[in-house]
Amino acid sequence: MNPTNKNAAPSYTLNCRMAQEAAAIERLCQVVRIRGFRIASMAVETAGDYFDINLTLEGSRPVAMLQNQLEKLHTVAEVVVKQPAAKLARHSA
Amino acid sequence: MNGAQHILDAFHRHHIGTVFGYPGGCIMPLYDALVDDVGVEHVLCRHEQACALAADGYARASGKLGVCIATSGPGATNLITGVANAHRDSIPMLVITGQVASGMIGTDAFQETDVLGMTLGIVKHSYLVDSAEDIPAIMEEAMALAQSGRPGPVWIDIPKDILLTDVKTPTPEQTQTPSASTPDLSEALAMLREAKRPLLYSGGGVSLANAEDSFRAFAEASAMPGVATLKGIGNAGKHNPNDLGMLGMHGSRAANRAVEECDLLFIVGARLDDRATGKLDGFAPNARTIHIDADAAEINKLRATDVALRGDLSGILTAFTHEMEAQPLAIDDWRTQCQTWRTTGGFQAADNEEPLAPITGPAFIRQLSRITPDNAIIACDVGQHQMWVAQHYHFNHPRHHLTSGGLGTMGYGLPAAIGAQFADRQSTVINVTGDGSFMMNAQELATIRRYNLPLKLIILDNQCLGMVRQQQELFYNNRESQIDLDDNPDFVAMARAFDIPSLHIERTDQIRRGIETILAYDGPMLLHVAISREENVWPIVKPGASNKEMIDEPKRTTTAKKEQVA
Ligand SMILES: Cc1ncc(C[n+]2csc(CCOP(=O)(O)OP(=O)(O)O)c2C)c(N)n1
Repeated sequence: MNPTNKNAAPSYTLNCRMAQEAAAIERLCQVVRIRGFRIASMAVETAGDYFDINLTLEGSRPVAMLQNQLEKLHTVAEVVVKQPAAKLARHSA
Repeated sequence: MNGAQHILDAFHRHHIGTVFGYPGGCIMPLYDALVDDVGVEHVLCRHEQACALAADGYARASGKLGVCIATSGPGATNLITGVANAHRDSIPMLVITGQVASGMIGTDAFQETDVLGMTLGIVKHSYLVDSAEDIPAIMEEAMALAQSGRPGPVWIDIPKDILLTDVKTPTPEQTQTPSASTPDLSEALAMLREAKRPLLYSGGGVSLANAEDSFRAFAEASAMPGVATLKGIGNAGKHNPNDLGMLGMHGSRAANRAVEECDLLFIVGARLDDRATGKLDGFAPNARTIHIDADAAEINKLRATDVALRGDLSGILTAFTHEMEAQPLAIDDWRTQCQTWRTTGGFQAADNEEPLAPITGPAFIRQLSRITPDNAIIACDVGQHQMWVAQHYHFNHPRHHLTSGGLGTMGYGLPAAIGAQFADRQSTVINVTGDGSFMMNAQELATIRRYNLPLKLIILDNQCLGMVRQQQELFYNNRESQIDLDDNPDFVAMARAFDIPSLHIERTDQIRRGIETILAYDGPMLLHVAISREENVWPIVKPGASNKEMIDEPKRTTTAKKEQVA
């Protein structure tokens, strides 16, 4: 990990609602990683049959690209990007 | 019915008649159910990787779902390359593996591997079944998912005890995939009419969407010059005068030139892969883009597009065809220019007329293209021979060209050809392979023999890993490293050991007879073709360079095959 790059990368908060199934969280994290983003913080709550996942992400690629890829996951119901993340969220990582 | 029988029931309801698999401990309940089943033909390959690649070849050749089955642990891990191959090329595939019994998961039980975790990055979706009652619904969903939108492999991992449990839940209704609507074309149409130098750029998405006919109708009605990606070869048919062939790293000079000069790229079912575009900065520098694709995530992924049309390719292309028929494009000058480039910058290495001359890859493939019937299916491996097929074989349909595009899997060709032959027993199916690739799944000669498949195998044997040798020669100061295969086995004798007759040729005047002999033979036959070690694939773009920096074949100074590379 290169700390200089890490600091330079823009930060986003992203909310994802996805069905609870085996490996749901791993699937989400795998896509985030392979598409070039780093998870700075993550909070998961269950809501009925769904996970409600709040992520703070850092990455220099367009976040819309990540959103598209996450939306393709069969069990993802919704992805909302709030960008850029509040400074607070970034520092809480 | 137990869980295993429900899997077979789902196959019946979806008219899946052929599956490729290999048995073992945790999947035994399914193999037990197969004993009493008459509706599903199970093809026993000799390695699970070959099962997955055969299912891939079956799916590509037929347009149907490919199915492969394996046991837990090593069975599942052996499938991985084949499933990754299908994932990278968006091939509809259903993968079923047995898993250790539910209570044993996480105990490091015999033949336990975390299949779900290991395969997350190579599937469209996956399931670990935790109740037999879910099997009918999961089967329905998985089969629909694998074939809808942008297709891909869906993997179902099922613990052994669940396969054996009786299921009481009634079978669900078949999932109907909602048909995609046709988006508004007006902006794209205006842009197309404005363009002076529009270029059609098509990829594997055309046949994945079963849009071959509507694509061809559009290509003809618009008479737009066109280029194809490796997987788009054949989209335009072999008689379209505006088709400039493959673009990219080993594309034709004509195709790459047209991309450089065009002012509009009309992209259909292609994802702007780096082997096609070269360095992105230098790709189609003067062009606006219209991008038609089934997958929203491909649009704007690597290059911002001006107009995106997402939806059913057939519907969109048919709507454009009507517009073109009503008012043709006024691009005569550009069309003529591209046809000139096609004549001067197409793939046309001169055939060596000298009968005793050694055989070159391109000359062999051109003869093969002339002699084989129009509906022949060619399954390639990976390397120089794969590029020679892409360059010099004239395909009339994209489903006739089976090639591992995204993953570039050596060992793909032989099992893929087996799958294709099961998809169409009447077609001529030919595996064109290299001496390196052939050895990666050579055990499948036994599968050919077992099912008496009339496959034709052609090994272009240059006694080395030719594509790697070429790049070492051109880009690593000719420092050869680990590419020599001059201790290859005697391939003719090897085929004979599997009771497959074979023939060896090495001179130009033997090409025609060699090809005619294997085609005429009523059964599987292997043609071993000795070719020069030093032959290269031309032109070539250095990996990471712009397509503009294409390197042509240096002038031959003698008739000898050994080249001096400038
Ligand atoms: C499974 C796998 N391993 C390694 C490679 C890297 N690779 C690409 S082409 C090639 C050489 C292929 O040799 P051969 O099959 O003899 O074909 P040729 O290039 O000589 O025509 C290699 C090693 C690959 N594509 N796939």
